[in-house]
Amino acid sequence: MKKISEGAEAVIYITGLIGREEVIKYRKSKRYRVKELDDSIRKQRTKTEAKIQAMLYNNGLRVPPIAMAGRYWIAMEKVEGDTLGAVVERGKRGERKARHLAGIFADIGMQLARMHALGIVHGDFTPANIIVDKKGKIWTIDFGLAEFSKSNEERAIDLLLMKRAVRKEDFDAFERSYSRALGEEAKEVLDRMHKIESRGRYQTRTLATS
Amino acid sequence: MITIGIESSAHTFGVGIVEDGKILANVKSMYPISDKGIIPMKVADFHQKHAAQTIRKALKEASVRQEEIDAVGYTKGPGIGPCLRVGQLAALAFAAAIAKPVYPVNHAVAHIEVTKQIYGLKDPLALYVSGGNSQILGIDMEPQPHYHVYGETFDIGVGNMLDSFAREAGLNPAWGSTVAKVAKDGEYIKMPYTVKGMDFTFTGLLTNAAALLKEGRSIGDVAFSLQETAFSMLCEAAERALMLLRKKEIIVSGGVAQSERLAEMLEIMASSHGKKFYVAPNEFNADNGAMIAVVAEKIHTSPKKGVSERLSINQKYRINDFKLSWL
Repeated sequence: MKKISEGAEAVIYITGLIGREEVIKYRKSKRYRVKELDDSIRKQRTKTEAKIQAMLYNNGLRVPPIAMAGRYWIAMEKVEGDTLGAVVERGKRGERKARHLAGIFADIGMQLARMHALGIVHGDFTPANIIVDKKGKIWTIDFGLAEFSKSNEERAIDLLLMKRAVRKEDFDAFERSYSRALGEEAKEVLDRMHKIESRGRYQTRTLATS
Repeated sequence: MITIGIESSAHTFGVGIVEDGKILANVKSMYPISDKGIIPMKVADFHQKHAAQTIRKALKEASVRQEEIDAVGYTKGPGIGPCLRVGQLAALAFAAAIAKPVYPVNHAVAHIEVTKQIYGLKDPLALYVSGGNSQILGIDMEPQPHYHVYGETFDIGVGNMLDSFAREAGLNPAWGSTVAKVAKDGEYIKMPYTVKGMDFTFTGLLTNAAALLKEGRSIGDVAFSLQETAFSMLCEAAERALMLLRKKEIIVSGGVAQSERLAEMLEIMASSHGKKFYVAPNEFNADNGAMIAVVAEKIHTSPKKGVSERLSINQKYRINDFKLSWL
């Protein structure tokens, strides 16, 4: 088992035990929390994450299928590809045609619309959490902050996190496709997004994009 | 280079004197806290009565004569209007008497800057926890140097939340300190825990704690669980910001930063990632004048001091609106 990354909440390992490569996400214990609280947060979040990810997969969304889940860990298939952050960077250097990027962003808009229609918000919908595979198909990863919610505010924040991190023309392609796929409800989400932006705090919000 | 700072945003009238970054005096007159909270006009009257003598005491303690002062700073906000007004007028009068410049200072920036000054830090992540505010902050240079709010409470500040609970439990509201005393060695009861990325909310937690008291759970257990839950939320949000922004240090400042338990939790969190944690001595986390002097000196010694703000007060002065003109 090889550790490939470590975030604030979880450690990601790669393992080849079951024949092909799999990703294991292990939710760490936090010594600063009292044991009962720590344990309940880790269990609850792991459970919700696995449940949401499995539900999205079963509904045909492109998310890594879950192989197994324990109390504090989830094992899932590894998705091969680059993060959207890396792809956008390459696009900036002129290595990819703008038309290709527009297709990718339209795909992302549709995936998010379907997620929202199923009553789920991602909670951390940034280019770091989208993988573009070899065929140019996009996969959404990391449902650690995802929730069951149909709130326009939380849906709008999913859109806003993406908007803050990408070029205007890319977001436009994303937004068009999102609106088409979600229909009437999308209007309310976009209205809410503009309201949140006018509150000011999100205008200069810094985000990790890689 | 000697600077005097006047703080009067709430129940403390504080005067500090700083010489080239070194704190020479930090004197306070404090309106006694009661369980009824603060009546603005009464506190303003108290400040007015104590202003001159507090300034004299600070000068004496620092062994500095009035005419040796080079610059004056005062708290522009955020805070209680009538209280802020007394400090502003005292600063303007003092500056006029010695014919020296006067600078308005943001209260929250001052809490952070004094901590950085004491430990010689440049660019830490800052958790600011006071009565009315709870924010995760870091310096951002665009479009102008300022403290950017990476995360904050969506409803009430952690200090006010602890105080509201203290009143419910029949304790004196003192920014968490009375709650901390009864919270020792309680038993943990599960409570609503709400963190969204780097933001958080406290009202659900407060409502739940009040309900548990009514059900007859012991004050000790409820206070313990409330404090553990609230501080864990702050710690988690700060941890996420620390990892995302890749800062090397984290500080905590503001009234609630006097909590030993919060400091202990942040220390454990920071060291688990190989980061350093700092908290200033209590006298600088309670409201004080020295922190205002520290910032006023930075503004006065920076080449851009000419572009000064209006010498007004602003009760709702947002931290991100204060320009760090020395950077």
